[in-house]
Parts: sequence; C-alpha cells; structure tokens
Amino acid sequence: MSLYLRQVRAIVWKDLLLELRTRERIAAMAAFAVLAGVLFNYALDTARVAPQDVAAGLVWMTIVFGGLLGVGRTFYLEAQDGAMQGVLMSPAPKDAVYLGKTLANFALLFPVALLVLLVFTLFFGLDLGSSPSILVLALALGALGFVALATLFAAVSTGTHMGETLLPILVFPLLVPMVIYGVGATGRILIGRPVSEVAGNVRMLGAFALVALAAGAIFFRFVVED
Amino acid sequence: MEISGMRKAGTALTVVGLAGLALVYWLSFFWVSTELSQGVAQRIFYVHVPAAWTAFLAFGISALCSAMYLWLRDERFDQAALSAAEGGMFFATIMLTTGPLWGRIAWGTYWTWEPRLTLTLLLWFIFLGYFMVRSSTENPEKGKRFAAVVAIVGALDIPFIHVSVLWFRSLHPQPVVIRPDSGPSLPGDMLTLLLTSLGVFTLLFAGLFVLRYALEGLRRELDVRARGAAA
Amino acid sequence: MNKLKTVMSAFLTPPLLALSASAAAAQEMPGAAMAEQSLRPYWHVFIAYAIAILLVLGWVLSIGKRLKDVEERLGQ
Repeated sequence: MSLYLRQVRAIVWKDLLLELRTRERIAAMAAFAVLAGVLFNYALDTARVAPQDVAAGLVWMTIVFGGLLGVGRTFYLEAQDGAMQGVLMSPAPKDAVYLGKTLANFALLFPVALLVLLVFTLFFGLDLGSSPSILVLALALGALGFVALATLFAAVSTGTHMGETLLPILVFPLLVPMVIYGVGATGRILIGRPVSEVAGNVRMLGAFALVALAAGAIFFRFVVED
Repeated sequence: MEISGMRKAGTALTVVGLAGLALVYWLSFFWVSTELSQGVAQRIFYVHVPAAWTAFLAFGISALCSAMYLWLRDERFDQAALSAAEGGMFFATIMLTTGPLWGRIAWGTYWTWEPRLTLTLLLWFIFLGYFMVRSSTENPEKGKRFAAVVAIVGALDIPFIHVSVLWFRSLHPQPVVIRPDSGPSLPGDMLTLLLTSLGVFTLLFAGLFVLRYALEGLRRELDVRARGAAA
Repeated sequence: MNKLKTVMSAFLTPPLLALSASAAAAQEMPGAAMAEQSLRPYWHVFIAYAIAILLVLGWVLSIGKRLKDVEERLGQ
C-alpha cells in the first residue's frame, strides 16, 4: 500500500515540478479567471441584477472553463515528446498514474478556484455569506470532481486528432449535475441561507467526486493501453 | 447466427415494424379518441413516448455492450454497442423534436427544463461525443476503447443527472406543468394505442439493430479479406 | 363509422380552415388570428409525426444503402 502511495506521489511530484518550472498552466488559468471576472462585470448590468444572485453561476462557469484550459493539457507535454510511453511502462499501475495526474491537476485547479472566488468577491463586492468554510469545501469537492472527469477525458482527447477541441464536448454533459449541485450550494450560502440548507448539495458534490475518481481509476487503463 | 441469417431476420423484423408503424399512424389519426383537456396535441404522445423508451433502451444496450467489450474484448460487443448507439441517436432525436412540439401547445413554451427532456438532451450529447471520439482516432482499435469509456461513464452519470435536474426543478417550480396521465388512468383506447406503439417502436428498433449489426459484420469480413489480399 | 367520420373531418379541417383563414385575413384580422390559434395543434401533430417517420425511414435507408455498398464490394 505504501508503495502504491509512493508511486502516486512520484507522479504528482513530477507534474508539479514541471509546472513549478514553467508555470504555464497555472498562469493561463489564473489570468483567465481574472479576465473572466472583468468581462462578466461588463456583461452584467449590476445596477439591475444583484451580484449575489448571479455570482454563484459565474464562479462555477469560470472554474469549469478555466479548468478545461489547464487540465486539457495534462497529457500534452508527454504526448509531444513520447514521454507517456515511459510513464506507462514504469512499474506504477495505471490507476496510480491516473490518481497522480488527477491530484496534480487538483493542486493546480483548487488555488485557481479560490482565486476565482476572491476575484468575484472583489469585483462584485460580495460578502462570503453564511459560511465561508462550507463555501470553500463546496469549491474543493467541485474542483476534485471536475479534475477527476477532465483528466480521464483529457487522456481520451489527447489520443484523438481533434485534441483539446473534443474535451468540452465530452466533459460538459457529464458535468451538468456537478454544476447544478455546486451552484445550488454556493448561491444559497452567498445570499446568507443557513448551512443546513446546502448539506444535501455538498454531499452530492462529494458523491459525484468519489464516483468520478473511482470511474477514472478503473477506466484510465483502457484509455492509455496500447 | 450467420450474417446472412441475421440479414433476413433483421429485414423481416423491420418490415413488420414499418407495417406496425403505418398501423400506429392510421390508428392515431383515425381511431383513437381525442383527449379532452389537451386536445389534438396529445396525439404527439403516441410517437414521443415510444421514441423516448426506445432511445433509453438503445443507450442502455450500448453502455452494457461497451462494458462487455472492455471486459471480454470481443469485437462483436463493440459492433452491438455501435449499432445500438446509432439507433439511440435517431430515436432520441425524435423524442427531442416531438417533445417541444407538444410542449408549445400544452405548456405554452417549446422548451422547459423538464427532467426527462433534460436527461435525454444530455444523453444525446454524450453519445455525440461517442461518435466523435470514434471518428477522430486514426487507430480504430483505440477509437473503440475510447468510445466504450465514454458510453460507460455517461451511463454512470445518469443517476447524478437525474437527481440534480429533479432538485433543480424543485427549486424553480414550473408555472403550469400538465403531465400526461400515465398507466391505468389513461382511457382504454389511448392506452391500447400507446402500448401498441411502444411494441412497434421496440420491434422496429430490434429489426434495424440486427440489420445494423449485420452491416458491421460484413464490414469486418471486408476488412479481413482486404488484409488477406494485402498479405 | 361515426367516429371515423368525425376524425376524418378533424383532419380535413386544417386545409379548409387554412383556406377560410386566408379568406378571413383578407377581411378582418381577428378571424384570422382565431383560426390560426385553433389550427396550431394540428400543425404540431403533423410536424411531429412527419419528423418521426422521416427519421425512422432515414435510418432504414441509410442502413440499406450501406449494406448494399458493402455487399457490392464483397461480391467483387
């Protein structure tokens, strides 16, 4: 078991180290988050629409779109120079590779999700509502569910000649329930409803993330086998 | 079964199914009584409901065969999954176009986020991905595996989609939702016609599914022969 | 038989109503608007049934065509 965890950790570390050196993906996602906040500010007539009412939806859409930007390139580098063969031929089982990749993506996306929340609170003058900790928990579970699905399908889309163009078509229909639960939870907390009201949504977010992780760990081997 | 046998069986089923469809059309135009509260538009249900049922059946078969393909790696499961998915797309399109036509009359709007309509729309897109993945891989073997994963993960997502769209609706209740009475509360002749139509659509799907499957079998034969000639 | 007659008339009504609607449109708007209101469900039923049969036949024909193509190439 500890060997398995070490293998997962090795993959996570490799990806994060690469990202630390180039900072390409996180910079793209962060810039996207801020720019989306700026654009949404002009897309909405804040004099007529109360920001709290729509902020939840915008936060989640920004996370999903920004996330695709970064997660879509998960396997890009490896596919470019053939390093994927090396990763897959290593003694690490395929599910360990998948979990490592997913956790590394989560480590990139979760800070971006927090940044999105920060940007929207700043730009729209929101306050964090009834329970900031539950808000952060919902974002974390959402980000986890998102990277779990997107990492699996990034492996699929990298293997096609359509590449990243295909990723949203594959992932968006599957993400609809996650966005519904997430927006439901976030929206109600932002307008100051009690935490008990969103417990069901947060639980469903957790269940979604778990099932997505399990499905990814099981089916990743069929995607990358040769 | 031999491919030629399947072709014959498929053709026979399809012919019977098409005759049945003609009967259903005749019955719903000239025989069944008009529902009182909804008027003529209710007749759309005799194609809408069977199409929905067939689409779900087809997508279910496709996901199941996809799982069997990944497990046993028997080409035939992939061929069955592909054939069923193609049928599912056609019947889901019927469901998605006839639904709004009825909704415009009954609800006053073409589209509502009615749970079953939403689920079908998302399934339609999931299986659009299924076909795009297949057609955008150079190595067909790879495309089959990718597509199978798309179908299975899509099927796993159905419970989540279902619960979420139900919750969403309970948050934003629709103004007036007239639901068709279903089951025994439907007057006799309407129920008869609906059941007939369900049977006919299923039969039609079965026939076309067998034919489509036979087509894949023939294609594989062609492949094998071409490879043999090249070698 | 009686039922058949009523239903037959129901499905002959749309074209007749359409005619009278266009005639009414020439004279006064309210009549035309009313005719359009009552015609609408019929059109929706027709379009729905037409879409269903077109898609089913479309699938039948596309399978038939592909089968013929493959069989021709197999025959060669």
